[in-house]
Amino acid sequence: MDLEKIIQKIDSLSPVSSSGTKIMEIISNPNSSLGEIVDVIKYDQSMTANLLRICNSSFFALREKVVSVKQAVAYLGMNNIANIVIMGNFSKNFKSSQDGYDLNEGELWKYSVSSALIAQGLAEKRGVKNIPRLFTSALLKDIGKVVLSNYVGDAFKNINLKVKEDGMTFLEAEKDVIGIDHAELGAIVAEKWNFNPEMVFIIRNHHNPINILIQDNLSIPIIYLADSICMMIGIGGGADGLAYKYYQEVVDRLNFTDIELQKTIVDFWEKTKAVEEMVNLSGGR
Amino acid sequence: MNIVVGVGDMKVSNDPDSVLVTYALGSCIGVGIYDPVVKVGGVLHYMLPDSDIDPVKASNNPFMFGNTGIPLLFKETYKLGASKNRLKVLVLGGSQILDQNGLFNIGKRNHTVLRKMFWKNNIIVDFEEVGGTVNRTLKLEVKTGEAIMKISGTEVRRIPWI
Repeated sequence: MDLEKIIQKIDSLSPVSSSGTKIMEIISNPNSSLGEIVDVIKYDQSMTANLLRICNSSFFALREKVVSVKQAVAYLGMNNIANIVIMGNFSKNFKSSQDGYDLNEGELWKYSVSSALIAQGLAEKRGVKNIPRLFTSALLKDIGKVVLSNYVGDAFKNINLKVKEDGMTFLEAEKDVIGIDHAELGAIVAEKWNFNPEMVFIIRNHHNPINILIQDNLSIPIIYLADSICMMIGIGGGADGLAYKYYQEVVDRLNFTDIELQKTIVDFWEKTKAVEEMVNLSGGR
Repeated sequence: MNIVVGVGDMKVSNDPDSVLVTYALGSCIGVGIYDPVVKVGGVLHYMLPDSDIDPVKASNNPFMFGNTGIPLLFKETYKLGASKNRLKVLVLGGSQILDQNGLFNIGKRNHTVLRKMFWKNNIIVDFEEVGGTVNRTLKLEVKTGEAIMKISGTEVRRIPWI
């Protein structure tokens, strides 16, 4: 297959808005303070309105209604504000159906938000510092699927055969049949959109975290574990199913007990309705 | 009319117009049961094997767990006139990520808890497709007991269980 053509397809994605780019710069730059995001939001009425809607949704279950950005920051903290704004600015490309992966409209976005929220929960338990960067990486890691979906659809019989008969992972089969897999393609998108190198790295390796275990970085194992949890409980369960490799040593690195992980699943399940509301509200822009 | 059985949920019905549907069984297990005489069906979609990890939450929602959800599925169909010795039983799900061994292999543990309970209670399974790396969807038509399975990305298949 013509790789150049596939890579050119990246240009058909909805471009990142100028506010989105600014927010991404703030999150990526270690010398920036997250508080700078407030300056971007406050000049954008629709972004502000959307932020307040999500802050007041059942997911956060605040006792009082939040009516200003300043109040929202005070109640929910800058990490949550950054995450909400990122969701609002990047949902567009994820909302449509991805037929090649057998995902209906909204399913990839629901999966992405769920995976990012689970990752955030795990990261907070392990004291990871840059939560918005982790959240954003988890949220956007499957952007490659949006570009690759049609090609996967056309080649699905062959891909599925490689998975079923040859024991390949879905990722390996994508690369074998199409010439590129969704993680690599996602990393190319992230580079084009000027994401910082760590985020590009995470997107490229999100199914192969073993490559980077040497690094003293918990974000990658956490994002990987959150993704595994989503696959197991069938969130955004598509044609690729659970056909990815499981790395126990990656999960072990995080030192979660079996009970802690099962409780994570239960806690997330209890928020199902609130997460669905968040998924819908965050797709509003 | 479709009655959707969500994740960690259970529904029974004797309404001949209804179809019990549960989507995207990954490591979760879907159990379908049907009494062809009184035409009562039930579907359970549980996520985790054992309620011991959180008994309080299990009492609020027993359908999250195999050990608390399975007995209730049967009991609820008995209330609608189903009889244990006539019930047909099918089991789907329990998928695993490739090479997923050890404790966090929820798919396998979900299946183990079911097998133990069925063994102890003399319940024979009429159709079972468990494991692999796929997502499965189950539909059960209450009027006829006809059941179909769809693996994401592939054709719909009729389940030979009645």
